[in-house]
Amino acid sequence: MAASHIEFSHVEVAYTKHVTALKDFNFSVAKGEFVFLVGSTGSGKSTILKLISREEQATAGTVSLDGLDLGSLHERDVPTHRRRLGIVPQDFGLLPRKRMWEQIGYAMRAVGKTKREVRKGVEQILEAVNIGHRADAFPGELSGGEQQRVAVARALINDPEIILADEPTGNLDPHHSAEIIRLLVELNQKGATVLVATHDVTVVEQFGGRVVTLQGGKIISDEVRNVG
Amino acid sequence: MWDRIEFLFSEAFTALRRNILMSLAAITTSCVALFLTGGVGFAIKGVNEYAATLPSRFEVRVFLKDRVDQDQIKATAEQIREIPGVASAVLLPREAAWQRFKQENPDYPTTGLENPLPDAFNVRLTNVDDIEVVAGQIKKIPTVSPGDGVQFLRREREMLSQAISVLRLVGIALGGMMLITGAILIYNTIRMTIVARRREFRIMRLVGATRATIVVPLLIEGMMHGMAGAILASMMVKGAHQFLANQLESFSGVVRVGPLDFNQVFGVMLTLGLAYGLACSLFAVRGKME
Repeated sequence: MAASHIEFSHVEVAYTKHVTALKDFNFSVAKGEFVFLVGSTGSGKSTILKLISREEQATAGTVSLDGLDLGSLHERDVPTHRRRLGIVPQDFGLLPRKRMWEQIGYAMRAVGKTKREVRKGVEQILEAVNIGHRADAFPGELSGGEQQRVAVARALINDPEIILADEPTGNLDPHHSAEIIRLLVELNQKGATVLVATHDVTVVEQFGGRVVTLQGGKIISDEVRNVG
Repeated sequence: MWDRIEFLFSEAFTALRRNILMSLAAITTSCVALFLTGGVGFAIKGVNEYAATLPSRFEVRVFLKDRVDQDQIKATAEQIREIPGVASAVLLPREAAWQRFKQENPDYPTTGLENPLPDAFNVRLTNVDDIEVVAGQIKKIPTVSPGDGVQFLRREREMLSQAISVLRLVGIALGGMMLITGAILIYNTIRMTIVARRREFRIMRLVGATRATIVVPLLIEGMMHGMAGAILASMMVKGAHQFLANQLESFSGVVRVGPLDFNQVFGVMLTLGLAYGLACSLFAVRGKME
């Protein structure tokens, strides 16, 4: 068993006295793993991703990355932490008035990349997710699958070691869903640790791998599914 | 570094462009607020400077007739000092007064002009209430110029003092109200920018942009509101000064509007405007922006 890259130890996340997202949650991910987090709405899968990205903080227990307790991370260090991650939101998070290359360029500029680095990097990143040919299109001119590809491309601007995808196939048809998961698998094969939160059982069955099933903030199964 | 600054400013300009109507409202209100507070401040300064050139409440200025010789001046000084209620009488020689006039009014064409000013005395009183009686007695001295030879400006001083009070009140009341209104408008504009650009901010946060990258353009936006308001307010102060000077031209010799140092006005207004805009936007971005 490889050493833990991401470690959840007795984690509890309570939103109110009666609403608890995770309860005494223990979970670990090794470097370079591909993990599907499966469960119905409210099972706690998105909370797991948010705890790793420090959008949420545990009310009890610790979440650590390479031994660093993310709960103790100072607010000013969160941006540096997030640059180790590539976050793919469910709603794509694209800016309606920007072309595809601008979406990537804008994110790169926001993290301090120079214009020269942007010019050099944008094309490369869009090509990496096979969307270079639509660089001049606006979001409204693209299919859901293409938009999600751009969202994945944007998550790659910091060359992340971990990719967190929250329902990346939630708004896509089965064909485009498979396409996006295949893309994430490719990134995983290049060395990134990938966590995908999904309730799309079809893609999980299609791709297999480590599947963690959650219910009411607890793990009910953690297994490796082989695809025949 | 320059690349970074360019990005931050382009973000601020994007916000200004998107909120153009609110920005215009914030700029015009800031302009009026700065004009009322800053402009009134300069008006008070001007009135104070003018008042400093007038005799004090306890003073009477005595102008002598033309061609009065030194012996007569000495005798007149003695006569004035003997009047009950007079504390002192200081001679203001006509040549010294003429030199001072030329220094204070460099634009006035004095070349080739003979000194038109008479010798004068600055007479201080022990009690301001005796001013009418003392003035009456001084007027009886034969070397004193008849008519307006004795001037005491108690009433003028009181009017000026009242004018300053009114100006201060107007400045504080109206300017204060406009400052608060302007602050609310700048605050609202920045908050609207935050709401309008929440998608951008969310993406920035997700990819690891620092808080400074998100907040600095908003502060620049607020400072631009203040700066634009200050530039307009400076021009309004200049215009108002010019208007006042023209209007009072007909009263020349009684009330003069002093020159306006526009660079000083502009510098002060700009500093105030930038600080004002920065303070309002700092207030708007405080805490979390989620």
